[in-house]
Amino acid sequence: MLLEGRREEKWVVGVDVGGTFTDFSARGLSSGQVLIHKRPSTPDDPSRAVLTGLRELTDKYRIDPGSIERFAHGTTVATNALLQRKGAKVAVITTKGFRDLLEIGRQVRPHIYDLQLDAPQPLAARQYRFEIDERIGPTGEIVRPLSDAAIEDLIGKLRRAPEIEGLAVCLLFAFLNPAHENRIASALREGFPGKFVSVSSEVQPEFREFERFSTTLINAFLQPEVSRYMDRLKAEVAKVAPNAAFGIFQSSGGLMSVDRASQFPVRTALSGPAAGAVGAAGAGVMSEIADIITLDIGGTSTDVCLIQGGKTDIASMRDISGFRIRLPMVDIHTVGAGGGSIAQLGAEGLMKVGPQSAGAVPGPACYRRGGTLPTVSDANVILGRLPMTLTGGEMTIDRDLAVKAVEPLAAGLGLSVERTALGIVGIVTSNMVRAIRVVTIEKGYDPRKFTLMPFGGAGGLHAADVARSLGISRIIVPHAPGILCAEGLILSDLQEDFVASCRIRVGTGMDEAARVIADLASQGKSWLASEEAEGALEGRLVLSLDMRYVGQNYELPVEIANGAERPALRGPDDLKAAFFAEYQRSYGHYDASAPIEIVNVRLRAVAKLPQSSFPARSPEVLAPPFDTKDVWFDDSGPTPTPMYDRAGLPAGTTIEGPAIITQLDSTTVVPPRAELRVDAALNMIMEMKNA
Amino acid sequence: MPEIAIDPISLEITWNGLKSIADECFISIMRSAFSTNVKERHDHSTAIADERGRLIVQAEMALPIHLASMQGLMTFIVNRFDKDISPGDVFIANDPHVAGGTHLPDINMAMPVFDGRRLVGFVANIIHHADVGGAAIGSMSGGLDEIYKEGLRIPIIRLYSKGVLDEDLLQLLLLNMRLPDERRGDLNAQIAACKLGVSRLEDMVREHGGDRLSTIFSEIVVRTEMRMRKAISSLRDGIFTFTDYMDDDGAGTENIKITLRIEKRGDRILFDFDGTDPQVAGNFNMTLNATQSAICFSIKALLDPNVPNNQGIFDAIELKAPLGSFVNCVAPAAVALRANSCQRVVDCVFGALAPQVPDRVIAGANGANTSAVFTGKDPRTGQLYVYLETLGGGMGARATFDGKDGVQVNITNTSNLPVEAIELEYPLRVEEYSLIENTGGAGRFRGGLGIRRVIRPVGHTCEFNGVGERFLHKPWGLFGGKDGATGRFYLRRDDGRKTMLASKSSCIRLPEDSVAVLETPGAGGYGPPAERTAVAIQDDLTSGKFSQEFVKQHYLV
Repeated sequence: MLLEGRREEKWVVGVDVGGTFTDFSARGLSSGQVLIHKRPSTPDDPSRAVLTGLRELTDKYRIDPGSIERFAHGTTVATNALLQRKGAKVAVITTKGFRDLLEIGRQVRPHIYDLQLDAPQPLAARQYRFEIDERIGPTGEIVRPLSDAAIEDLIGKLRRAPEIEGLAVCLLFAFLNPAHENRIASALREGFPGKFVSVSSEVQPEFREFERFSTTLINAFLQPEVSRYMDRLKAEVAKVAPNAAFGIFQSSGGLMSVDRASQFPVRTALSGPAAGAVGAAGAGVMSEIADIITLDIGGTSTDVCLIQGGKTDIASMRDISGFRIRLPMVDIHTVGAGGGSIAQLGAEGLMKVGPQSAGAVPGPACYRRGGTLPTVSDANVILGRLPMTLTGGEMTIDRDLAVKAVEPLAAGLGLSVERTALGIVGIVTSNMVRAIRVVTIEKGYDPRKFTLMPFGGAGGLHAADVARSLGISRIIVPHAPGILCAEGLILSDLQEDFVASCRIRVGTGMDEAARVIADLASQGKSWLASEEAEGALEGRLVLSLDMRYVGQNYELPVEIANGAERPALRGPDDLKAAFFAEYQRSYGHYDASAPIEIVNVRLRAVAKLPQSSFPARSPEVLAPPFDTKDVWFDDSGPTPTPMYDRAGLPAGTTIEGPAIITQLDSTTVVPPRAELRVDAALNMIMEMKNA
Repeated sequence: MPEIAIDPISLEITWNGLKSIADECFISIMRSAFSTNVKERHDHSTAIADERGRLIVQAEMALPIHLASMQGLMTFIVNRFDKDISPGDVFIANDPHVAGGTHLPDINMAMPVFDGRRLVGFVANIIHHADVGGAAIGSMSGGLDEIYKEGLRIPIIRLYSKGVLDEDLLQLLLLNMRLPDERRGDLNAQIAACKLGVSRLEDMVREHGGDRLSTIFSEIVVRTEMRMRKAISSLRDGIFTFTDYMDDDGAGTENIKITLRIEKRGDRILFDFDGTDPQVAGNFNMTLNATQSAICFSIKALLDPNVPNNQGIFDAIELKAPLGSFVNCVAPAAVALRANSCQRVVDCVFGALAPQVPDRVIAGANGANTSAVFTGKDPRTGQLYVYLETLGGGMGARATFDGKDGVQVNITNTSNLPVEAIELEYPLRVEEYSLIENTGGAGRFRGGLGIRRVIRPVGHTCEFNGVGERFLHKPWGLFGGKDGATGRFYLRRDDGRKTMLASKSSCIRLPEDSVAVLETPGAGGYGPPAERTAVAIQDDLTSGKFSQEFVKQHYLV
């Protein structure tokens, strides 16, 4: 199906590497044409699937590889290295008296009742954590000077440990005065040119030493592995697509250069899921829906993210596999419930679903890969909600195996197989609902005011049940729910975050704040200028201040300016008003008389990339249902339900539930008392009527 | 009442919904409270109880020590007010002796839920308030010897009657507490959480009706009790005993004996503290509810860490403790620092049951809730400051791996304050924060190391108050494992002179040419040291956590 104009079209390609599949999404910059492709991932070397898939994509759609302008990549290399602790041998250089700080952390256990569960040991063994005699104080003053002899002594010790590949320099109060860190870092870079050096005042110059040190150590741990991968991939992709600019997706929701990613690999720790959230926000914008709760249901887990006013929520800290990272990251919450979650009778004789999962192997029984335990997917098959073939016909479903898996459980409960399956789906729904309620209420939002956006393979199967339980009345199913992460990648702009510590009371010391802001603005401007030279369109600077009441130990980020101009500091009254508004929204009250202080200044620079805003092409006419099947929606019995192929639903279509809509790799259940319509962006909007 | 059958699927879904309500109330308090103690350290809990005052669900993040306290309050409310409970009432209480509490800073609140005129249950919560008045700031100082000195005692009273706030009463409460604005903010957070919980539970009443919901509550309790009893049945029948000692009460009584005799038969288990010393003058006494919290923690941790927290656990356990003893004190006993004593009760349960559950028990851990308070006048501003820290220590060695170094153990799990946060806030310098070498007891698996924290006042003289335990009685080793090291506090002058301090130290002057050195206890080892592998011993040496001498003395014999 060669389309006119294909030869002259310029393309942006997004590649998202997941655990099971590597997804490709290509978008034509002038036509808006979207092409998608999927191939199994190659976990031992993820770049193999990326390169093979890229060739397949260009062959399949006859794209001239030379016309690929941009290649945006979401990577799990860093995440997997952390999960498997497969990174570099690293050493830490820290202030005398504090080498155990990284090991003690915040001195808490992960689970109060579990005596056998510990926080993981630090990524650098104790003998590789070296102390150096120096000390900076809380105003940046030098309390104990750093001597050249101490540096030489350190270099000598490191020479006796040639097995070390990465070095993390982590000194107290370096975020206020990096002089000592800088001297040590340059001595190390000179003395050990082959080794990677991460410095806490460069990785994340913010206060709270454990979080800063931990982030820096993780960076050092990931650096050799990630930068080797990046170099290799960049060289190989250049052979296939010689004109493509290369962007790596960072956890904070934008692209960065390969060099940047090699320097700060810790910024890619949440690359994949963050791209999904950005894709969701983008799909919402097409349908003019700005407040969204995403529901990305995969095999073993479900990711939830809040999108408010078209922007993904950002968290400043997160633990990955027990390792703490303090960096701006798209705020994704993971629930241990997915299509592969196993149902069983729990200790109290009640039915439990998850967190144990059948995973990809052996997988749910119905997938015929050897699984025998009853899972959520098996329940969906029994209820008639999952079609008999998946992923465009590449995978067939065996209902008999699903029934066989659920039968023992049903016998134990004294219920029919169908009723047991309804129970499995009901319980997994209640698990997800519980998690979503907590996430939204924690942030001070009412879930009923949001639109639910399901994606991932199984999102559309459960969205209606989840929405009803949460009191949500509207669901948006994006055009391509199976590859939303790859979609997010091609929608993303270049982004860089700057932070500087600046602790002043609002009302006094404003000159100091103005100076810090001017300094960050200059850094942001020069970064934008260099990106524009590389082909980025207009740039934007977003200034926010971390503020708190004096004496409090937690800060709120408050956005102060957002635009093309150099941001300026506003007057104390304006700052207070902005802080009170945010405090009120977050905590439900504020105190207008208590003194306020600024702790950090943050600046985000965003360089816009050429995007295409054309919606996908709609089919001409509505294709009739390809089948009618008996589907269970509640325990009153099966209902004959039409099955539609999504590719045959033109814009403007309205379908009354019940109905099942299938597409390449996902399925949407439209229950009775729900109405589905296809909008101009080809997103499906489902309105839930009161039961 | 007609028989209502609840199938195991709807019960699971409804139970999930109830947990969700308790979690939402917990988060609501976290979001709207004023104090750092709640926002940062999450020293609060929330729960739902049934119409008989039985605890049905507790929030996921609720604290073990609050478990029996909320339960205690509910029992007292139901007994005292019985038919005189109306929609819109909010009950408030904190007293350990007449209102089921465990110490005064923990203020309890509860609000009833109705189906028409039928009482269905309560939502309840606790916040540890940063000050409830009394002789010393923070209401938690050592050396207080009767409850009147520890703060304002609140019996069970109505803060709201039928939806109307008793403003006079609120004024009385606030006048007796330091930082009344912060107190009002935290109390408002508790009230808001009560109202949120009631409205969410009312939704459930509409969905299920009061009768069905009551049946569901009972099912939850019965099934939990069954689960707990099943875990108890897995233990061998018999009588198991253990005796351990508190160092002292900071008011003249030393070597306080806690004797525990556990009698286990079939699915029944009795914890009998006969032979335990009488209550003491110092504020380490435990009310029976505190003792019950410690036992519930221990039994859960040993037998089934994921068993849900509700009345079912209490129902599966029998408890006997002589009235007026250290573990079942009566008025006017002082109780503020009972968390340290709870740790020792946990040690007794672990010690007694160790031979029954060798694969799950841990050796004696740091066994304290070590706290340090530095106060003084900031030379830069002339303002008074108070810096409070609680420190972890060694965790006991386990059947298959070493004890964790430098961590909060057993019944407590609060985080530290960052060094940079301390120094930005207070005129203090942290000179060292480290693990103390050789403090973990030797064994096939070794005990965890204690923590050392060294603090110096900058440009002024400050005052130090500290509470430590296991400065005298070592954290014990298990099955041939050696004991861990004790903790200690001392002052060190720059000229090298050292002054040892008592485990309960108050009003110690600390000039700027000196540092306070806080060393918390390590923990006991597990199994004979002779069975430690060469690889593990080598790692003890290369990590620098143990010296050549230590290794020579314990392993190379």
